[in-house]
Amino acid sequence: MNSFKRIMILVLIAATGSFLFASGQQDEGVVELTMMINFGADTATAVAFEEVVNAFNNEYDGIEVTLIAGDANYEALMKSKMATNELPDVWSTHGWSVMRYSEYLLPLNDQGWGDRLNPAIKPVITDSNGNFYVLPLDVDLAGVSYNKSVVKAAGVDIADIRTWDDLFAAMKKIKAIGVTPVHIGGKDNWTIGNFFDWTAPAMYVTDPDNNSSDELLNGDFDTAKWEILAGLFKEMNEKGYMNVDNLTSTFSDSARALAEGSAAFEFYGNYVLTEAWTYNPNAELGFFPVPAFYKSDSPSLISGERAAIGVWKDSEYPEESMLLLNYFTRPENMTKISASSAIPAGFSDVESDTGKLKDDYSRWFGTPAFPYFDRAFLPSGMWDTMCSTGAGILSGDMTTADAAAKMNEDFNRMYK
Amino acid sequence: MKIRSSAVSILQKPNSINLLYVPAVILFICLIVYPFFEGLRIAFTDWNGFSQHYDYVGLENFKYLFKDKSLFIAIVNTLLYGIGSTFFQQIFGLSYALLLNKKIFGRNFARTLIYLPVLIAPVIMGYMWYFIFQYSHGALNDILSIFGAESVDWLAKGDRAIILIIFANTIQFCGISMVIYLAGLQTIPKMYYEASGIDGASVFCQFRYITVPMLRPAFITSITLNLIGGLKLFDVIKALTNGGPGYASHSLSTLIDYTYFKSQSAGYSAAMGILLFILIMVVTLAFNKLSGEKELG
Repeated sequence: MNSFKRIMILVLIAATGSFLFASGQQDEGVVELTMMINFGADTATAVAFEEVVNAFNNEYDGIEVTLIAGDANYEALMKSKMATNELPDVWSTHGWSVMRYSEYLLPLNDQGWGDRLNPAIKPVITDSNGNFYVLPLDVDLAGVSYNKSVVKAAGVDIADIRTWDDLFAAMKKIKAIGVTPVHIGGKDNWTIGNFFDWTAPAMYVTDPDNNSSDELLNGDFDTAKWEILAGLFKEMNEKGYMNVDNLTSTFSDSARALAEGSAAFEFYGNYVLTEAWTYNPNAELGFFPVPAFYKSDSPSLISGERAAIGVWKDSEYPEESMLLLNYFTRPENMTKISASSAIPAGFSDVESDTGKLKDDYSRWFGTPAFPYFDRAFLPSGMWDTMCSTGAGILSGDMTTADAAAKMNEDFNRMYK
Repeated sequence: MKIRSSAVSILQKPNSINLLYVPAVILFICLIVYPFFEGLRIAFTDWNGFSQHYDYVGLENFKYLFKDKSLFIAIVNTLLYGIGSTFFQQIFGLSYALLLNKKIFGRNFARTLIYLPVLIAPVIMGYMWYFIFQYSHGALNDILSIFGAESVDWLAKGDRAIILIIFANTIQFCGISMVIYLAGLQTIPKMYYEASGIDGASVFCQFRYITVPMLRPAFITSITLNLIGGLKLFDVIKALTNGGPGYASHSLSTLIDYTYFKSQSAGYSAAMGILLFILIMVVTLAFNKLSGEKELG
């Protein structure tokens, strides 16, 4: 028994020693960078990132970049990394470059490509001091997703949908042909929050005569406007313009319904179209600007970050990290990333293959675009309040007044 | 050899036995005391849970506890989960124990079957129930459709969701109560029943005047365990409803989680945590005092 113990101890010492020796080893002169992205390893965007990173590793002998693809826990993981101040050298900011990550990122104003930024994304990634912290590789430009065949069959002309009244009239026609006008996959209630993210700009900021953006940014939340918005949501549900299982169906159900023509409109980014085409590649799908609420206003698009990367301000290798970031500004690399999501590139002078949506992007070119409402005008953390209160309205557990009051409560508590 | 003899001599000194629980005390301080006081400190800040910067805000978070309607809903739900689950677990647990204490066919198999869910992680159990209750392709709706009934969105209404959560928790943990009551029943001497039978006592009278009083220690143990478990209920809610629809089925535990990680209000969430600590302590102490007094009486 004693000899067995001795052998075990020797084995453990040898294993520990070789582990420590191996972990202390590093190729002489090679800088190791870590890059994390929020896209899952099997997504087209992650594959595009991997190709660019591999090309970078081949081109620069002295730098070795390890790319870590994300999963559903990416956001939680990044929060824990921020709390411990142990961040990767370069990472993607999934829409939060200003409000959440800016205190950890290097400003990129001096990189020489600020003038080339797509005008639809520049205000979204710029803070109140005029600093931007990420390189946007593409622009998440979206509106209301729709099935063109269904809309045509119902005798609706998308060009006629300019206000919410027009949208309600269109929904009535669509319901009359037996199709669900709007599909919400509310099991994961982010889909409900997305509805409000899409529609709140029309209520609060897009109309110059009813613009509350200064009030919102100065900590004053207009509860009455939210109650009206929540009322539209409730009215859609009560009139049977939404799917009956709006609280228990999933986002994938929404994509499938759009693809199969059992739903007409959806309030998601264009990623829902990409997923819908996996169910039915021949589906006639597209998007149109979100209708205005006020008669004096005009429809608008929603713009936001999708693939955007920044450099950690405390990185051990800031120069090499910046070299990697700027490698993505090469047109062929930016095109590769943006085309993987079939959305426009982050620079105005870089082409992207927007695939089946090319005609829609051309059609709506020049339409005013506004950022995701919660990211630009609400305190960080309000997103889930939008999701939960919306779900409460659908279930009947909250009135529109309750929902608006809860929004106001959380706004005041979280506003700094 | 010297080391061993000096260690022995240290242990032979008066009160040196106290040294033996030092490792446990260190672990307790690291894993319980330090996090508790750290939570207390965070409750006085506006920390968002990840930033390197935060300010002390005094009693702001505690003041907000009194204004927060979703917190009120969560407190009511927490009490419903705690008291409701405990009540039904005692009913089922005692009934099973009384039945399976008799020499019936398949007794051991039935005992195992009833206790089995206790061994399953609550989050897995929650998802199993979710697959039964979900609207699309849920087992319950599929069964209903065989009889031509309309599908029901079981989890889409707050009050119904609360009932289903209590039901799921009861089914999972009534096995614990059953085991406690079985152990209690087996300590009751048979002569009491025989003597009362000779005196003409009915089965109900035997249960009322022999079984119930003799099971008092088992009642206290089972109720305390189930009450604490119910008040802390988390996993099943996360899996079944995630606190929804809206805020309707949140318990204090899930609301704390939601407020910390989703609403990014770590300071306020810590204040809620202190409230939960006080709630569990008060309810448990009150129950212990009540049951202790009765025992003395």
